[in-house]
Amino acid sequence: MPTITIDPITRIEGHAKVTIQLGEQGEVQSARFHVTQVRGFEKLCQGRPFTEMPALMARICGICPTSHLLASSKACDDIMAVRIPETAEMLRRIMNLAQIIQSHALSFFYLSAPDFLLGMDADPAERNIMGMVRKHPQMARDGIKLRQFGQRVLETLGGKRVHPGWIVPGGVSHPLQAEQRDQILAQIPDAIRITRAALQWFKGQIESFRAEVRSFANFPSMFLAMANDTNEFSAYNGWLRFIDANLNIVADHITGTDYLNYIGESCNEDSYLKSTYFKPLGLTDGVYRVGPLARLNMCQSAGTVQADEELAEFRELERHSVLSSFYYHYARLIEILFSIERMETLLNDPDILGTNVRAHASPNKFEGVGYLEAPRGTLIHHYRIDQNGLIESANMIIATGHNNQAINHGVLQVARQFVKGKKIEHGALNRVEAVIRAFDPCLSCSTHADGTMPLDIQLLSPDGEVLDRLLR
Amino acid sequence: MPRALLIGYGNTLRGDDALGPMAIERLRSSRSEAELISCHQLGPELAERMAACDLVLFIDATCDGEPGTVHMERLTADAEHSGSLTHHLHPATLLELAHALYGHAPQAMLITGVGSAFENGERISNQACKALDEICRIVPRLLQTFPAM
Repeated sequence: MPTITIDPITRIEGHAKVTIQLGEQGEVQSARFHVTQVRGFEKLCQGRPFTEMPALMARICGICPTSHLLASSKACDDIMAVRIPETAEMLRRIMNLAQIIQSHALSFFYLSAPDFLLGMDADPAERNIMGMVRKHPQMARDGIKLRQFGQRVLETLGGKRVHPGWIVPGGVSHPLQAEQRDQILAQIPDAIRITRAALQWFKGQIESFRAEVRSFANFPSMFLAMANDTNEFSAYNGWLRFIDANLNIVADHITGTDYLNYIGESCNEDSYLKSTYFKPLGLTDGVYRVGPLARLNMCQSAGTVQADEELAEFRELERHSVLSSFYYHYARLIEILFSIERMETLLNDPDILGTNVRAHASPNKFEGVGYLEAPRGTLIHHYRIDQNGLIESANMIIATGHNNQAINHGVLQVARQFVKGKKIEHGALNRVEAVIRAFDPCLSCSTHADGTMPLDIQLLSPDGEVLDRLLR
Repeated sequence: MPRALLIGYGNTLRGDDALGPMAIERLRSSRSEAELISCHQLGPELAERMAACDLVLFIDATCDGEPGTVHMERLTADAEHSGSLTHHLHPATLLELAHALYGHAPQAMLITGVGSAFENGERISNQACKALDEICRIVPRLLQTFPAM
């Protein structure tokens, strides 16, 4: 039985491959997304002082270190049993918003825009950032500028664009200066202009991608995101909530270690990436999605003027929840708009320059959990410490793990629609890659379960017979 | 006075790969008049600043060659290196981006120091130290001799 392998998947964060198993008549029988790298952070942090965790965990990834820094610091706040100062919380929220802006801008403009601008069937040699520069230089300049805005905020607050510091257990290490605030505020009008232009352009393109809308992981599933009392968009504060495809709340007010009752993790034989599932329904039926699509389905309003206008239009796509994962791209742009607006509001609050920005305490609990909405979805850091404050165990559930089952659904759905017979067209393979890209998977931080999955290399004959197998 | 930009890049936590950022730090303390940038990797965000310059020197570490030696290569704008890894670009692709998006590709040179130890850690090898010394001798001379270099 012939197998098609796409290796590596391009324009994603990390290394992965896809195998597509064909039947005798050339029809797609199965398709799998394999993550082929491992990081091992849950293991290597054992024995380290818990206060080191934010800086250590930020090294998981060069794309979303700020998200890990924040979730880890929240877990440490929990261990210390402190409520951080209000100014510190506002400053952390700004960091999280800046991270969402720069990460979403990278995903939309650098990684996915070549597909939209040049078409899914375009020559792969052209369908990249240089092709985009030639076809639409203004959009390329805008994309660079928008990502730069997010990075500059991270650098202004955290000292560095990649692996910033500043966020610490108990708050942040030092207050914001008025000059720094004004520098960021001065860049906001241009960032909003770019985002609105990208939204207008993307909305005009959707009609050309009807086949992709129909087939890109377009299926009823549950969604997981953070929620709060106001039902506004929430990326930093709140609890976890599951909703179903009809927007009914399935599980709510999940805090602390409660997540263990709702989220199961399953190891896969063919990937270093674990699959999570909604525990009460089991692995097969408990598929859910996280990230921009889940968050926009979850909230009743964004809470900012322009993002709310866009959200109202977004909701008109479907009667209930928006189910096609192609719309992750659309949701990302709305989230950028929201993030810029919310950041402006926070920066204009007089308390943002407050000098009480850190609570100090020793460990008061042996266990701590931090939740956060990272750009790609819900991020959970859970630590247990011993009497000396050293890490006994760490559990991290990362957005791409939450989405793993949905990504596999999408790969199979797309392969069945676009891969026909034994001849593979570039456009078909690119659509398989593009459905993965819609989730913006970040594989570096999602494959942290060192030692829990064997390395399995199989040599298959054309008829599917296993000729050789190496297990390690 | 020509506008010069020095970009040292590499991972400061992977031994000799820190050679580029370390060169920038040393040149900063010697009060170089060039604009200095230290970064993990080359991203498209650098293109706009490059386009505003007459000369860009990229400083990187490599494992190809005799450890301790330094190599220089003149760069020209070239989109062929672009591939699809869009958040880690080749210097020649960055030059092409500077030209295509901002209207000017400066003269550019890639200076690489050959290291021998790229494992986890913040110390560099003796060979990388030798290459670092050499780079810090070469760069001021290049800046002085530009545009005749």
